[in-house]
Amino acid sequence: MHDDLIPPELVAPAFNPAAFAHRDDIHALFTRLRRDYPLSKVEVPGFDPHWIVTKYADLREIARQDDIFHGGDRSKTLISQAGEALVRQYTGGQANIFRSLVQLDPPEHKKYRDVTAAAFSLDGIKAAMPNVEATAKLYADKMFAGGPELDFAQEVAFLYPLKVVLDLIGVPEKDHAKILELTQWLFTYADPDLKRPGSDLTDPAEITKTWGIVFDEFEKYYMPVIADRRGCPRHDLASVIANGVVDGAPLEHRALISYFIIASTAGHDTTAATTGTGMWQLAEHPEILAQLKANPDLIPSFVEETIRWASPVQQFVRSATRDYEIRGRTIRKGDLVYLSYLSANRDEDAFVDPFKFDAARSPNRHVGFGFGGHTCLGIHLARMEMIALWKQIIPRLKSVRLTDTPRMAESEFVCGPKSVPIHFEAEPA
Amino acid sequence: MTDTPYALYRCENCGHCYDEALGAPEDGIAPGTRFAELPDDWFCPQCGADKAAFVRVD
Repeated sequence: MHDDLIPPELVAPAFNPAAFAHRDDIHALFTRLRRDYPLSKVEVPGFDPHWIVTKYADLREIARQDDIFHGGDRSKTLISQAGEALVRQYTGGQANIFRSLVQLDPPEHKKYRDVTAAAFSLDGIKAAMPNVEATAKLYADKMFAGGPELDFAQEVAFLYPLKVVLDLIGVPEKDHAKILELTQWLFTYADPDLKRPGSDLTDPAEITKTWGIVFDEFEKYYMPVIADRRGCPRHDLASVIANGVVDGAPLEHRALISYFIIASTAGHDTTAATTGTGMWQLAEHPEILAQLKANPDLIPSFVEETIRWASPVQQFVRSATRDYEIRGRTIRKGDLVYLSYLSANRDEDAFVDPFKFDAARSPNRHVGFGFGGHTCLGIHLARMEMIALWKQIIPRLKSVRLTDTPRMAESEFVCGPKSVPIHFEAEPA
Repeated sequence: MTDTPYALYRCENCGHCYDEALGAPEDGIAPGTRFAELPDDWFCPQCGADKAAFVRVD
């Protein structure tokens, strides 16, 4: 293990959205970092120095201590110095454009999380399951009616989780396409196919400009919804958020809009990435489909493994509120820490054969949903909706193969396949 | 030795279950370890939630 700074040219791809579209290369990078620089600092030009956390145990130790390692004091996601300067200009000094659960810290974080905790609890999601299962059947029916060839990512994976969460929020179907577009501008701001039209990817502050536009568009969309739900609450998530109370008062404006944003974007894009990844695995490995058809009880563990494999939220950045000793290193107060969930989920010290997709992997203590207080609020919804979809598809699927090379989005933050072209054969009716 | 049946506890955060009868040998917790006997700083091995996030489900 090296004690020195990581050579910046070694780590630079981890700071470049385009690099994440080449999965073998990015995994090779993180494998090397786990081996040679398991917890070291890097100074990539244009960025403040970051500790790069690639080991599963280190990530869990840091992520769980959100009172020490904050998300709101600096940018919660990787950002250049130019980008961060523009954020502070845009927000009047704040480090983040969004004030969603992701960017909040204790004690405020839990108060805001509690606003929707019941809706996203196991019991809350179970109550929503009849509608989710109906939507799963709808998309499975569409797939089998429209086959035998389709782009599974674009025609199923992008759209099914979108409808599930937007129906829960109470967004009418006519607006779903716009929400999908804004989501893709947000998470895949640098992808040539999904980015905001007119965005300039040579500008290191482009992420800030696009995210500022995304915030404004969502604000414009949801302000009338909020007014409507405050005047006439309905049985939907929009009403829960709009009428939420923290410390006896309505949610602070930026946090209120950000709450809708995170539900409307992270509430489906991550599941879309994982679902597309699942079909990619089935199409490349017929033995997995055979295993699941013979043992449908393995579908839940297949879903867990797709989450580990995809790790759709690839990184978050935290900042240390005090000095902290870990792995013989001292992270100083104010230091930035890049948590690679993508790397942690392939850590050889945490997973047996981490580069083998094992649909029956047990236990599977991946960190695809995070770890600690910031564990994904939608964890139960994500699992249940994916299980519902595969329970519809797998019994009806006789075989499936790729018709072309799948393509990953170019994103250093939330990332998944943007194209999974398949040819399938259905079981006889 | 006790006749009190073993209980099942579920993490409200992620759904992970702790079964007193089974313990968690992979984490060094022997079968038959009561939930109350787990250290106060024990946390959910799946998601990291505090011990307080667990509820009894049976």
